[in-house]
Amino acid sequence: MSDEIFYATIRELGARYRKREISPVEVTRALLARIEKLDPLLHAFVTLTADRALEDARTAEAALRRGDENPLLGIPIAHKDIYLTRGIRTTGGSALFAEWVPDSDSTVVRRWQEAGTVLLGKLITHEFAFGLQFPGHKFPAARNPWNLDHIPGGSSSGSGAALAAGLVAGATGSDTGGSIRGPAAFCGIAGIKPTYGRSSRAGVMTLSWTLDHTGPMARTVEDCAFLLQAMAGHDPADPASSTVPVDDYLTPLRRGASGLTIGVPRNYFFEGVDAEIQRAFEEAMDTLRKLGAEVRDVRIPSLRGAMSFLLILMAEAYAYHERDLRERPELYGDVLRERLLAGALVSASEYTQAQRIRAEICAETAEVLRDVDLLATPTTPKPATPFTLAHDPEFAFPKSNMAPFNLTGLPTLALPCGVSSTGLPLSMQLSGRPFEEATVLRVGHAYEKATAWHTRRPPV
Amino acid sequence: MADPHELTMDELRERIRAAGVTIPENRLAMVRKLLGDALAPVRALDSRTIRTVEPAVKFVAEPKEAGRE
Repeated sequence: MSDEIFYATIRELGARYRKREISPVEVTRALLARIEKLDPLLHAFVTLTADRALEDARTAEAALRRGDENPLLGIPIAHKDIYLTRGIRTTGGSALFAEWVPDSDSTVVRRWQEAGTVLLGKLITHEFAFGLQFPGHKFPAARNPWNLDHIPGGSSSGSGAALAAGLVAGATGSDTGGSIRGPAAFCGIAGIKPTYGRSSRAGVMTLSWTLDHTGPMARTVEDCAFLLQAMAGHDPADPASSTVPVDDYLTPLRRGASGLTIGVPRNYFFEGVDAEIQRAFEEAMDTLRKLGAEVRDVRIPSLRGAMSFLLILMAEAYAYHERDLRERPELYGDVLRERLLAGALVSASEYTQAQRIRAEICAETAEVLRDVDLLATPTTPKPATPFTLAHDPEFAFPKSNMAPFNLTGLPTLALPCGVSSTGLPLSMQLSGRPFEEATVLRVGHAYEKATAWHTRRPPV
Repeated sequence: MADPHELTMDELRERIRAAGVTIPENRLAMVRKLLGDALAPVRALDSRTIRTVEPAVKFVAEPKEAGRE
């Protein structure tokens, strides 16, 4: 089977299924063979569910024969391994849960299953979505298909690697400080962190209650729209879940970027940004202008306090892991254990002040979004980090262009906008008002239609 | 002159003792950097002047305005 099928979009696959040119079982068999061939290099999968995938594919074929029009029927996907899956082990990328088999599905897993997807397996995550697997860890770290010596980003590392390598058509990610958007940026794919409360976190391992989001990752913005449509919506099992009605994410994609105003916050997001990322970003803004959007500079001064995100994350993550850290510390990965223990050193007053800084950032950003429809920023200041640097225990938690949107909870899409001189993907973020995922996706889709960055393939 | 906002190694050791946790000596520099970076915005803050006082994040769904999708 040709590469064309491995990199087919959800719309293309659905059309070919319905024309009987190809079947979900054929696609599933081809992907399982491709995973067997490529994954020993990439380490994207932690568990392969071949039998389940073929069963799902046969079910989808039967539904297609009946004329079922669900766009996700027969679409091959995999889940980040912090999403609980009934009867399939869920490791969290950690030795602590290395053999744990949950007896229930997370809400998102169930929703994608009900939509007719084909589950190929579970994708490696940074340990508990926070700690890169260092050499000697129970599970090997995923590698970047664009350059195996570089990280694919994290913590949804397997999701990014599997999508870029054409092993799946869609994947779940989770995003506490950029864990959907970082791998999307480093792997040259798309990923959207929806509004806080838009997509359920029930049955997904916690890192930080007030910062955690779930969302889809895919190779195109339209594919993200299809996948988000099937996962968004109120879930009483998630205390943060919103009852705001879910928009149609697909129909507005056709409307383009014309008439919208895009703000570029010139403070914070451009500090330490590589020259070639800045250049790619400015070219992307020129493209959006040509598409009819107005692009203008804005300022959000309170972002000088954005690293307060790290304090909140550390304190909440420690609260979640405290008991296991005391009783079974040896099962945590090297470095991650100390990262988590650092959360024990945060005082209640400091945590509260960090939340106050967060509230100010939220208020200022909301004010800016009264005047502009969207914000655009570079997703990361640099392209994918080499393992030699990431595996240095002293490597600092980098300044993040993504964390401000975990603090504010705003819907944010990452999508490719260029390539570095070393051949690594470059990315920009588009952020919108609360629950305006449709606008974010619409502009991202318009940009994709006008450019070809998303069509590039890694050399695997 | 030392930065008054800087997290010193002595302060870090005092925090570790007070929290009752154990962090190996060879990880102290990493933890100091991590916690120091995280504390920087809080230490730079004058808690009496910050405008917003409520830590909660809330969204209110409002009807969309015409022409704004």
